[in-house]
Amino acid sequence: MTKIILNGREVEADPKQPLIAACHEHASAVPMYCYHPGLSPVGSCRICQVEVKQGETPARVVVACRTPVVEGMVVNTEAPKAHEARRQCLEFLLKNHPLDCPICDKAGECDLQDYSFAEGQGEGRSVEPRRKLEKRKSLGDVIVLDQERCILCSRCVRFFEEVTKKPQLTVAGLGSRSVISTFADRPLEGNYQGNVADICPVGALTLQSFRFQARVWNLTKAPSTCGECSRGCSITVEVLRRQEVKRLRPRPNPAVNQFWMCDHGRFSFERFNAPGRLAGALLRGRTGLEAIDPADALDEIADLVRMHGAPLVVASPWLTQEEGERLRVLGGANHFLSPAPNTLKDDLLHTGDPCPNRRGLGALGFAPLAPAEALERLRAAPLALLVGERAVELLGAAALATLPSTLRLVVLDTHPLDAPAACIEIGVPDASERTGTWLNLDGHAGTLGIARSAPAGVAPLTRTLDELVRRTRGALAR
Amino acid sequence: MSATPLKREVYLLSRIDLPDSHTLSVYKANGGYQALEKVLTGGFTPAQVIQLVKDSGLRGRGGAGFSTGLKWSFMPDVAKDARPRYLAVNADESEPGTCKDRVLMEKDPHGLIEGILVACYAMRVKTAYVYVRGEYRLSYERVAAAVQEARAAGLIGQKILGTDFACDIWMHKGAGAYICGEETGLMESLEGKRGHPRPKPPFPAGSGLWKSPTTVNNVETLCNVPFVITRGAEWFKSLGTPKSPGNILIGISGHVERPGVYELPLGISARSVLEECAGGVWKGRTLKAWIPGGSSTGLLPGAKIDVAMDHDSIREAGSMLGTGAMIMLDETACTVRAMQVISRFYDHESCGQCSQCREGTQWLAQIFARLERGQGRMEDIELLSSLANGMAPAKTICALADAAAIPTHAIVKNFRAELEEHVRLGRCPLGSAHEAAELEEAHA
Repeated sequence: MTKIILNGREVEADPKQPLIAACHEHASAVPMYCYHPGLSPVGSCRICQVEVKQGETPARVVVACRTPVVEGMVVNTEAPKAHEARRQCLEFLLKNHPLDCPICDKAGECDLQDYSFAEGQGEGRSVEPRRKLEKRKSLGDVIVLDQERCILCSRCVRFFEEVTKKPQLTVAGLGSRSVISTFADRPLEGNYQGNVADICPVGALTLQSFRFQARVWNLTKAPSTCGECSRGCSITVEVLRRQEVKRLRPRPNPAVNQFWMCDHGRFSFERFNAPGRLAGALLRGRTGLEAIDPADALDEIADLVRMHGAPLVVASPWLTQEEGERLRVLGGANHFLSPAPNTLKDDLLHTGDPCPNRRGLGALGFAPLAPAEALERLRAAPLALLVGERAVELLGAAALATLPSTLRLVVLDTHPLDAPAACIEIGVPDASERTGTWLNLDGHAGTLGIARSAPAGVAPLTRTLDELVRRTRGALAR
Repeated sequence: MSATPLKREVYLLSRIDLPDSHTLSVYKANGGYQALEKVLTGGFTPAQVIQLVKDSGLRGRGGAGFSTGLKWSFMPDVAKDARPRYLAVNADESEPGTCKDRVLMEKDPHGLIEGILVACYAMRVKTAYVYVRGEYRLSYERVAAAVQEARAAGLIGQKILGTDFACDIWMHKGAGAYICGEETGLMESLEGKRGHPRPKPPFPAGSGLWKSPTTVNNVETLCNVPFVITRGAEWFKSLGTPKSPGNILIGISGHVERPGVYELPLGISARSVLEECAGGVWKGRTLKAWIPGGSSTGLLPGAKIDVAMDHDSIREAGSMLGTGAMIMLDETACTVRAMQVISRFYDHESCGQCSQCREGTQWLAQIFARLERGQGRMEDIELLSSLANGMAPAKTICALADAAAIPTHAIVKNFRAELEEHVRLGRCPLGSAHEAAELEEAHA
């Protein structure tokens, strides 16, 4: 580590990182557009200007993203000259900017807006006509480009060059006629397109699916973990008005996903918004499934365990460690559903394994079970517990409907199952509504965060399982 | 200006009037390739060649005027750095007003090649690239043909002149972008990428072409080198001024009787270039304004013509020597109109990476166009200065923003009255308003 003086305070800086990293680490909010910690620094936007003094040479204003850290350098991010340089830079950036913040999806989380507010000038001095360019250029199914808002920071260009290693975007045209473009207007391809909307510092690249869907200040955000594969990317779950999940975005985690996530994970949130949630509990009566109090449903399950002995447990691969620890006490044989690997595997993030907690459940003694095999085991069992969100989906409601009514099937899932074998059902929270831990393929713990509350009458699965364990303790004592 | 008259001697252009001056036989018959022979077979070590060039005081002729020998000495030691090394010859001459390298390439291409070979020997470079401006078709053909001729004669390739020195020269044609004449933009372009200048550091000598040690030299600079070798540092220093020795090719254009490229000692008075070489301002008119070194250097008032054409004197006069391309404007010319044209050039040629340059060059061009159209406001004059202050000095990756800001500062300082008159009258006082509108239309 190298010692530098930053805003009058001696701090330690990593000499392998540019000066801007040290500025950010020590809580000095140096603005940035072209710089992104996950991409190579190009030093083109010139907004991160700070004053640096080295040795006897007079202090000069430099771009922090292209300045190496040198022992003893004196850095002042708040020097009047640095402020002035940044103000000037902002004025140039806003010269042709359409200022259509009221209809821009980025408003509220826009770096151009935020830095302009922080240290820009109140009024523009330009009376020239603003640049007229394409405002809604589709770059494929995922991304839409507004060329007028673009400040040509080239983060998106470098993302494809450096992260996915498949260059797709470029700067076309020269000077003030420059625009971001794909080659020959081809649509973007691949499973990582959505990231460019995250790293775009302005509203130039936005998600087709998020377009005009929400004002970002109406979103509540919770740190969480993606469950679409065993990578377990760190994410933020963003919920509109505490109800509808609107967006999943990657959260920086150097050990797992750096700054990125795949589109498969990003757009998986629609599942959270599926209607028809199972709130409370159901019991099969004479006229079919009837609502009962969840506590009574738990008593019924305990009775079944006393009658039939330890049940066959088939858990969802989305079960957390905390849930698994409680559930394994109940089962005679414990399994988790392990669907075949999908074809999304790549050498960046996606592992192709749809079980986010394979490693953790394995460590708890749960054996992987292919869905087809699981159905066979269920067919032969007298009593089975099907536990966790997505368990029904992974086995298929239609397939479960063919199970004989000799099976007493207890279902703990987010949505009700209409199947003759299903005798008791209790609603559980989904991944946006509960907390817990998954272990990814490398053993890194990913925490689920509560982004919204579960439907009324739905208790955390850990609590439901605790209750069930308490009620069946005598029956299972062997 | 120096008190003693400057020694006049023509060497750079000494061969250009010979028939077939571009061929190997004529070049050799007139002293060609003697410098190469001298360094290769005369027991010169590469370090000695660099020292000789350093001693001569030769400064780069591409515009910045940096010491050539010093630049060469920045190349890392071959014993400690095994990477390939390159020389990139900047023949992308595109500074408005400048056409000196073109004369050398068309008329004396072997002079350039000899300079390249000596430079490569001095810097232990085995590969040189000549990056020729795309529009310079004849230059390209002449240098390419000369390279072929030299290769056939054993002057390029392996075992040059029977020694262990090996060097190859490759030709590259630019595609017409001004920014590719900036040394790092040139390297990006040579690598097959867009000509976006690279931030410095790293400097080319440390990490240039394909991240290897590279030196970029201007054509005229390299053409000086064989003469420095054969005639010596003392001879070279006997020409020009102590701080800017040697001759420089001065291209003079605009409202003069005999525009052209003239070889003159550095430190020559601008007035004598105008009056003796170019035959004075044309049509018996008076000089209103002049640009000393290409469009990136500031416009000076015509009264300031008694200035020596060397790096330091012109800086003192408030401008820059640049490429030594003098552009003369007579009393009928409008300086605002001149700035309209110049600022539009920089808007057109900015690569677009840096915010201040991309937006600033456009903004300046729009303001100058508005002023010339008669739609300017008094506050635009302050705005011009303020914008130029936001763009330069050294606020961007390369100096293109500076190149647009410097003449802007100059017109506000030197021709403020004319700017104000445009605003006051609501038109160009010289009546070229409609011409300006036409010009804008033509480029829309």
